[in-house]
Parts: sequence; structure tokens; C-alpha cells
Amino acid sequence: MSQVIACYKWVADEADIRINADLSVDLSKAKGKISDYDKNVIEAAVQAAAALGGKAVGVTFGTADAKPSLKDALSRGLDEACYINAQEASQADGAATARALAAAIKKIADVGLIICAEGASDTYSRQTAPRIGALLDLPVVTSVSKMDINGNILTAARKLDDCMQTVKVELPAVVAVLPEINPAPIPGLKAVLAAGKKTVTELKAADLGADLTPRSTVSEVKGYVMNRKNIIFNEGDLAEQVKALAAALRKEGVL
Amino acid sequence: MAGIFIYSDKADITSEIIGFARLNGKLPVVLTLSEKDAQALRNAGADKIIVIKGQSEMIENYARAIAAVLKNEGAELFAVGATPRGRDLAARVAGYLDCAMVSDISSASYKDEQLICTRMLYGGAVQQTEKLSGLSVITVPAGKYEPVQGEASLQTLELQADTRVSVVETAPIVKEGVDLSKAEKVVCVGMALDKAEDLQIARDLANVIGAEVGCTRSIAEERHWLPAESYIGISGAVVKPKLYISMGVSGQIQHVYGIRDAGLIVAIDTNEKAPIFKAADYGIVGDLYQVVPMLTEALKK
Ligand SMILES: Cc1cc2nc3c(=O)[nH]c(=O)nc-3n(C[C@H](O)[C@H](O)[C@H](O)COP(=O)(O)OP(=O)(O)OC[C@H]3O[C@@H](n4cnc5c(N)ncnc54)[C@H](O)[C@@H]3O)c2cc1C
Repeated sequence: MSQVIACYKWVADEADIRINADLSVDLSKAKGKISDYDKNVIEAAVQAAAALGGKAVGVTFGTADAKPSLKDALSRGLDEACYINAQEASQADGAATARALAAAIKKIADVGLIICAEGASDTYSRQTAPRIGALLDLPVVTSVSKMDINGNILTAARKLDDCMQTVKVELPAVVAVLPEINPAPIPGLKAVLAAGKKTVTELKAADLGADLTPRSTVSEVKGYVMNRKNIIFNEGDLAEQVKALAAALRKEGVL
Repeated sequence: MAGIFIYSDKADITSEIIGFARLNGKLPVVLTLSEKDAQALRNAGADKIIVIKGQSEMIENYARAIAAVLKNEGAELFAVGATPRGRDLAARVAGYLDCAMVSDISSASYKDEQLICTRMLYGGAVQQTEKLSGLSVITVPAGKYEPVQGEASLQTLELQADTRVSVVETAPIVKEGVDLSKAEKVVCVGMALDKAEDLQIARDLANVIGAEVGCTRSIAEERHWLPAESYIGISGAVVKPKLYISMGVSGQIQHVYGIRDAGLIVAIDTNEKAPIFKAADYGIVGDLYQVVPMLTEALKK
């Protein structure tokens, strides 16, 4: 059991999202990026693969737009990547995503560890690791802030609301890591160049033999705007502005 | 028995989800892992409390068994408190059922036998509405619903645990900071502060108005000037004070997520284009080192 899987997602950069006046969401100007937390996932997989003496394999489920992710992911130290290139990814919910990833992982031999982030920076649903575990009936450890691999045993520190919990599991297993697990270094030029020569396996929806239909129905997607007063005190000098603010706070009855 | 099955490792959230079920005329059935938790929830309005007995102390390890119970009992919804353990359990149960799940709902309401849920995407920039029918799973953050009262019947149930993951050790997290989620007023500092000692400026204002001091993620996680519990946002605390005053906080979407439900938002920042002003009710464009001491003085009177 030596291969380590890093599940990662190519997402729209939230900083580029535009909300139109009618609250419709404009993603057309948004650049893609590897979900922030998945950079830590990739680094964790590279380290775990070294500990297990195996390869680190990236698996991503995305549309044709996700192609540029491969070079980026591979430059972060992965040995290989598996790209499920399917239009269904644009409509996928947590159920469909986990089914796609689980089906692709099943095709990879000798998997000892599957690493996901808690959630992706677009949807932040935090479903993927537990769902993959359920679909493959593997043990799952989430909220992992630290992990050690000793032979076939993984020991993980889980950061929960009320405690730090240390747990132990025999591999194969699925883990969801927190970003604090490692600092996810920025790849150097040499690594970027080497990435182009690494193996990428591309799978189509039909190759998976999995049902990629979502289980929930999205009925509306709209921009969220806060309805606030947006009053800036800019009359007179700073002292007067502060006085006006203090008066407003008194009037609001929030003091 | 149909109804809404409920689990949370936090009794407060369990009570609130029971309130949600009752609000919608559904029978709430609570799952717990200990007799003690069951007793504590005895009068919280559930129809029935089921105490799970089994070989593991981790609720997550009962996911497959709980999925089977939900199916056999004809449950219509599994509603779980949105905490690390709860989210794990919920998604694993959804995985075993291969059913729909909406995580960290902003709202949920029934219409024509469908559950209509909203949730935030892209760190809070976008709101998505999803419709669920048939047995589904949701996770519910704290503070969404009003608890109710009423006595529940008690029952125990033997379940098969998945013991592949086992606990080696548990160490309580020593919370150094305050529970900001319950604060009535919050003064929030951002990366504009030059040095840790300058936190005093925020503390002075906080003392005068009776507020707690919070911060942005970078202040806690990079500079370590305040404990991790003190940072506000999507990955930190979500606050609902009557009054929130920020100083030198740019107002990135991930931070604003955590102050959305604040009664009144006040921003002080040198950059008039800082996004925080779009999220604010009142603002002053200026240097916090000047503005905040003046405001503290003005509010003393
Ligand atoms: C996935 C992800 C999750 C995140 N989660 C969170 C989260 O939960 N919470 C969170 O807070 N952040 C979070 N962040 C980080 C977030 O994006 C911002 O980087 C962070 O909130 C910025 O902190 P800041 O406003 O303190 O600093 P900056 O963005 O650097 O803003 C400093 C502000 O101070 C102003 N300023 C400078 N000098 C002065 C002065 N003398 N007087 C007044 N104003 C001055 C500047 O104009 C600027 O607006 C997350 C980021 C990512 C990618």
C-alpha cells in the first residue's frame, strides 16, 4: 500500500467575482486557481508518499477549464496526475464529486492514503473526504492538523471545537487536512519545468462508470450584498467626524 | 417513524435543531452517545431521544449504522450541528446513503414537501439556493433557531461501530480568549497595527464601551498577537454583536462573512476604497492611531 492520492479542485478565484446590479453572478473575468487549501493537501501527499515509499498522485474532477491545473499541481511535487475531464463537474454537488473521485481512485492500484482538504475555497462544503470514505468503505479522519505515518499506521491530531484528539488508524484510509498541516511552499522554476514531463492520465465521464448526476437541485445562485447604511463621515475635520460618529452611535442605541 | 433525526456534539445546537423541527411541524428524534447528554436534553422538546450504545466513543464511527437506522425508520431528514465532528458524521452518513446534503445552511424552510436551503459560496460573495426531496442531510450552524420545551421519551439502541479509527488521547483545548460569538459588542483590529503593544488602543476603546477585542486572521495566525479564538471570519468566529467597530481591517470577503449578522458595523480605515466600507453602516476614512483615541474620548462622556 504505497500510493498517496491528493484530491484537488480547480476553482474560480473569489477575488475576481463580479456581482451585477441584478445580483446575477459574473464569473467570466475570474481566473482559475487550485483551491487554496488543496495546496496544503498536495504538500501533505508529497510528504506522505515519501514516508510510505510510494508515489503521490493528484486526482481532480473538473471541466475542460481545469486543464491548466495539472501543470500547477504537478509542479508542487506530485509524481503523476489523474484528470477527470467532464462537463458534469460544473453541475456537481458533494455526492457527484465524491462518486467521480472514488471511481477514479478505484482505478489506481495500491492506494494507501487519500488526502483531501476539509473543503474547497468556492463551495466549502466539507463533504468530499467523508463521502469518499463511505463510498469506498474506508476509515476516515477529518480536521487533521498533524499526521505521522509509521509503517502501516497513521497517527493524526484532530483539531475539534473543544479538544485536540489524537487518533490512530491502519492504512488504507481517507484523511481531510486543515491548512495548518504544512506551509505549502511555492514551487521553484525547476519544479515548474519538470512538471511538464510528468504523466497525466485523462479520464472521461464514460470511463468512470459512475453516476455523475447531483442529488440536490440548485434553484438559484445570486450575489450576496449586505444592506448597510454606508454612511461615511467626511464633513469637517477629523474631530468633527468623530463627534458625528459618536452621536450616531448614541442615537442608534447600541452603546 | 418519519421525522427529523438530529445529532450535535453541542447540546445548544441540538436544542436549536429541535426548535427547527417543531417550527416546521416535524417530529424531532435526537441521537446521543451518552446517557448524560440525553438527560440534559430531556426537556428540550424532542419526541424521542435515542442513546446509542456501542464499541466506540467517536460518533463519526457510527455513520454506517446511523445511515441504516435513518433508512429503516423512514426518516425525512438528518440534521446535524455544524461542528467538526458533526460535519464529518453528516457527510459520511450522506455518503453511505448516497443522498443530497447541504452543508452549513444559512436558512432552511419547507415548501410543498421540499426543503429549500440557502448557503454561502465563495467565502460569502454568493448565495446558493438548493432544493432537497427525499431523505437528505443538512448541517446547521449554532444560533439559527429558537429552542423549545417539552419532555422526550428515552430509548437505547445498540449500534455497530466502525472501530478502524480509535482515539489514542484527548487533550482539552485551553481557550485563552473569550467566546466572541456571544459578545454584545466587538472591537476588531486588523493588520494596520504596527506592533502588539498598539492593541492597547483597541482595548481602551473596548473598555469604554464594554466590548470584547477580536481581530482578523492574520493578526492571530501570522503575528500571534491574539489567540486563535479571537479571529473573526469564515475560518474563525462568526459574531453577532449589536455593535462591531473595525480599525485597519480591509474587509476581505472571508472576514466579512463573520460579521454579516452584526447589528451595526462601523469601519475606520485609511483607504477609502477598502471593501469594509461597503459592508459598513458608518465609517471614517482616517488613521486609526488618530481616530480611535478620539472616539474613545468622545464615548467616555
Ligand atoms: C481561504 C481563506 C480563508 C480566510 N479566512 C479568513 C477569516 O476567517 N478571517 C479573516 O479575517 N481573514 C481570513 N482570510 C484572510 C483574508 O482574505 C484577509 O487576508 C484578511 O482578513 C486581511 O486582514 P486585514 O484586514 O487585517 O489586513 P489587510 O487586508 O492588510 O488590511 C489592512 C487594512 O488596514 C488599513 N490601514 C493601514 N494602515 C492604517 C492606519 N494607520 N489606520 C487605519 N487603517 C489603516 C489598510 O488600508 C487596509 O485596509 C482568509 C483567506 C483565505 C484565502
